[in-house]
Amino acid sequence: MKYFEDIELGEVWDLGSREVSEAEIVAFATRYDPQPFHIDAAAAETSYFGGLIASGWHTCAIFMGLLADSIKAQKLASLGAPGIDHCRWLVPVRSGDVLRGRTTILELRPSRSKPMGLVTCRTELFNQDGTKVAQLQGVGMYGRRPVAAVAEDTELGVSA
Amino acid sequence: MTYLEDLVVGEERQFGRYEVTEEEIMDFARRYDNQPFHTDKEAAKNSMYGGLIASGWHTCAMFMRMACDAQAGQNRMAMMGSPGFDDLKWLRPVRPGDVLSARSKIVSATPSENKPDRGTARVQIWVLNQNGEIVLEMTSMGRFLRRPDETNA
Repeated sequence: MKYFEDIELGEVWDLGSREVSEAEIVAFATRYDPQPFHIDAAAAETSYFGGLIASGWHTCAIFMGLLADSIKAQKLASLGAPGIDHCRWLVPVRSGDVLRGRTTILELRPSRSKPMGLVTCRTELFNQDGTKVAQLQGVGMYGRRPVAAVAEDTELGVSA
Repeated sequence: MTYLEDLVVGEERQFGRYEVTEEEIMDFARRYDNQPFHTDKEAAKNSMYGGLIASGWHTCAMFMRMACDAQAGQNRMAMMGSPGFDDLKWLRPVRPGDVLSARSKIVSATPSENKPDRGTARVQIWVLNQNGEIVLEMTSMGRFLRRPDETNA
């Protein structure tokens, strides 16, 4: 398990990538953001965006999908998140785009009242051309290393 | 058509009704936020949340649906998407059976300095549960067209 204590300032997580299909763009937006430029390819053609684009909330959801996979892969003691300081949707996300995420750790703060730490991080999402499509900065909560686990690891000679 | 000029700073609205189901919480999270407290009822019971909770991004998505539905019966907004949002806070967990609604207040409507045909509105958003507790707040942004000059129309 990777705890708050194991996260280092300036650490960069490559979140991997996900391809965004037209079917997924339309399915997400039909349920959560049914505006013509997200759900109707023909109407989207004549819109300001010149074609179907993903809902910004869908882009955020894809970011979270990548982060959740990374949390699992890194065995991070994630406890959820209190919020996002700011998020910018910089360039439209279109069907066929392959989004890659990169998270940088900006600040580490132990909680005074709970056995957790608050981790401020910035995530950038890039498309297959290397163009940044979104950037967000937020805080995640991660569990502290239990005292018993420290002792156990030491006894067994397990490195963190 | 509702243009940037038609937005009234300070105007508040209440809208939406969204019943949150366990099935939808897990569906959303399996795809977009696969963590035990969103996808696994048993594991969620033993977590600090004491039960299954919706992904915060799912709450954002449910808000967006309520906002779209609220606009459906009204004057069409001359909107060109959104550049983003600030100060999003997930204040309380959203759980199966919760019934969400939303409140909005227009904070500002500012013409663009370099693009004369458009501007940006900032809107404070609150999402509430059935007990009137705020579960989410944020400042959202919308890009609006300005009203075309009638004399040139």
